[in-house]
Amino acid sequence: MEFFDSLILGFSTAVTPTNLLFCLIGALLGTLIGVLPGIGPTATLAILLPITFFLPPLAALIMLAGIFYGAQYGGSTTAILVNLPGEASSVVTAIDGYQMAKQGRAGAALAIAALGSFFAGTVSTIGLAVAGPTLAGFALSFGPAEYFSLTIFGLLCATILASGSVIKAIGMIGIGLLLGWVGTDVNSGSERLTFGAVELFDGIEFVVIAVGLFGIAEIIVNLETPESRGLIATKITSLWPTRDDFRKAWPAVLRGTGLGTFLGILPGGGATLSAFSAYTLEKKVSRNPKEFGRGAIQGVAGPEAANNAGAQSSFIPLLTLGIPSNAVMAMLLGAMTIHGITPGPSVMHNQPDLFWGLIASMWIGNLMLLVINLPLIGLWVKLLTVPYRLLYPAILVFCCVGVYSVSNRAFDVALAVGFGFLGYLFRKAKCEPGPLLLGFVLGPLLETNLRRAMLISQGSPSVFIERPISLALLIASAALFVLLLVPAIRKTREEAFVEEEA
Amino acid sequence: MFKVLKTLCIGALTVSAAATAAHAEWPKDRPIEIVVAFAPGGSTDVMARAMQPFLEKELGAKTVIVNKPGASGEIAYTYLSQAKPDGYTFSFINTPGYLSMQVQRKLRYDPKSIQAVARIVDDPTAYVVKADSPIKSLKDLIAQAKAKPGSVSVGTSGVGTDDHLAMILLEQAAGVTLTHVPFPGAGETRTALLGGHITTGGLNVSEFAGGDLSTIRPLVTFGDKRSPEAPDVPTAKEEGFEVFMSSERGLAARRDIPADIRAKFSEAVKRVVESPEFKEEAKKLALPLAYLSGEEWEQQMPKRLQSFQDIWNKTPWVQ
Repeated sequence: MEFFDSLILGFSTAVTPTNLLFCLIGALLGTLIGVLPGIGPTATLAILLPITFFLPPLAALIMLAGIFYGAQYGGSTTAILVNLPGEASSVVTAIDGYQMAKQGRAGAALAIAALGSFFAGTVSTIGLAVAGPTLAGFALSFGPAEYFSLTIFGLLCATILASGSVIKAIGMIGIGLLLGWVGTDVNSGSERLTFGAVELFDGIEFVVIAVGLFGIAEIIVNLETPESRGLIATKITSLWPTRDDFRKAWPAVLRGTGLGTFLGILPGGGATLSAFSAYTLEKKVSRNPKEFGRGAIQGVAGPEAANNAGAQSSFIPLLTLGIPSNAVMAMLLGAMTIHGITPGPSVMHNQPDLFWGLIASMWIGNLMLLVINLPLIGLWVKLLTVPYRLLYPAILVFCCVGVYSVSNRAFDVALAVGFGFLGYLFRKAKCEPGPLLLGFVLGPLLETNLRRAMLISQGSPSVFIERPISLALLIASAALFVLLLVPAIRKTREEAFVEEEA
Repeated sequence: MFKVLKTLCIGALTVSAAATAAHAEWPKDRPIEIVVAFAPGGSTDVMARAMQPFLEKELGAKTVIVNKPGASGEIAYTYLSQAKPDGYTFSFINTPGYLSMQVQRKLRYDPKSIQAVARIVDDPTAYVVKADSPIKSLKDLIAQAKAKPGSVSVGTSGVGTDDHLAMILLEQAAGVTLTHVPFPGAGETRTALLGGHITTGGLNVSEFAGGDLSTIRPLVTFGDKRSPEAPDVPTAKEEGFEVFMSSERGLAARRDIPADIRAKFSEAVKRVVESPEFKEEAKKLALPLAYLSGEEWEQQMPKRLQSFQDIWNKTPWVQ
């Protein structure tokens, strides 16, 4: 049983006092930066990278990895309690989590989020250990054509994800696509919509838009109605989910885990895409889609499981192929290189203690996070009793620090404030900013992959239907599109919307 | 009470006087800012952070690494050109981007206001293929491009980068048409290569040498001679194509900083590059160290700049 030998090796490496200590430090730091909106794991990793010079390689990697998945736990806390997603990946958690908190069920939402994350973390860690190398091979077969079709599918999902009218959702996606155009075109090198501002040459940072539209806009809305909306007026009835909550949540956790594990493997995927997709899925399979947006526990359980699973499984392409699937993984790649480790298939053979030790530590870290987070729920909930006039300046400061630290530019802070006012206007117009974000992320992917696929196929569009994965995704998109147009379904969707308005 | 205040005042005066005196003694009184024009975790950033402790030791001063990513370095260079010329701000510069941007667009800073201080690395551009690719040499690649024009796709890390410029030069030298497929970075190029979506990909020697070569196979480097980091890989010249391209990294400062500070800094960088401890670090990162003084490096630049201008005049790479 080579697999079990490897796991035993991994655990025996991971439980040395040093490694346990750094696992704990990483998990704690991760939770903290996750709770603080705007300060993301990428910035934190960048700050801590030089410190890891003085650590043994494994301890350094364990700590840095802990920060990443710890942030997934922490990010959901502020999303649920103050409708401020600490991380991009917890944007969807805020939709239903915050509603639950408003109904006095913040404790239940936080507990389900923590338990769901732990379950997903466990499963995807096992997945990483068992199927890592094979799965990574599959991810490689995703070429430009497949990415194009996947993005089409994602954009259609985004339309359905929106709770408002289809027209408004499409409008918001359109604005997102436009914002995604800003910057230097990868294919031609020419500038688009930069208005000559050198700060816009590389486009607008995701964090800038997210913090502006969600963080700052939320604060403005809250200030409009003094001392009530940001805080949960109703008393907190329970700190623990009910039996009914568990019954509803566990299938959602299972689905979210599966989806997140799969999407995390894809280069460019990871926690954020997983969470968005899981929310759409939950809404689709639910018998009462109307509950979503009003405190459906599945809307918290699914995405929370998915973002943690996605965060864990995005280690697969890094550890098995040396390919970072997102910015955080790129930071870890940098850390490994500093320590003279070349991520790739050779790590598993040449340094099995490192590879398996890191995997084992992830499970230990997840356990630690559960232990840290469950007892702390009471404390986080207490945070809500802090008067808003004291809370919002602190949140604003963290937002600004977070935005500034992305590229060390004051320009970005000003831009985020601008997006804050824009987000406020959107709320007044009852337009959901969620689809905008997705349009912003998926738009450039759609365009570059379309052009890339056409370049490689030398102008033949048949490449999209000749490749099986791409074809399957396009068929699924077509089906989704038809569903959106079928009068009966559209009607129920609009009815739900009318009720929400009422 | 009054006595305490008086003592405090005298203390404060002494400290401020000492600070003024120490100001003359560059660089002991405050940290030197070293700007990296790219995001944390990138190869320039990793190199900068690996060098930092050694450089601090040689200078006997504190340094701070500040990332100013964006616009292929222009944001950092603009920042550098606006810094005080007191020898407390340096920036990494990377060629060919530093030179090619002078050709391809109107810049927000005057390139003449910046002067190279020391070159650290000269990293040849290379083309790699998937390990099981039927293409065994650059000649094979050119032969395929001749047989089926446009069928050879070259993944690069962006428009106007060294691998893209090497591709344009190769097209001219061999009289072939290649299909350019730009990616946002070397990581994405490598992924597309491993997935078999592109024929060949442009990487620098440091990006594959010393790494895992079970999945990719380097085809050719565009150095003027074989790279010590990849001695088995032939150069384009050996294969009969006069194409030279590399990516250099080094440090620069404002042209009007005191000359002795520039010389001291350059010397410190030289001692770092020559120290066995740093060489050991550099080996881990597969960095092709190639120190040049600022003057030597600047002498080479007009020739390269002119060659980019020539390429640009024939085939502007940005429409």
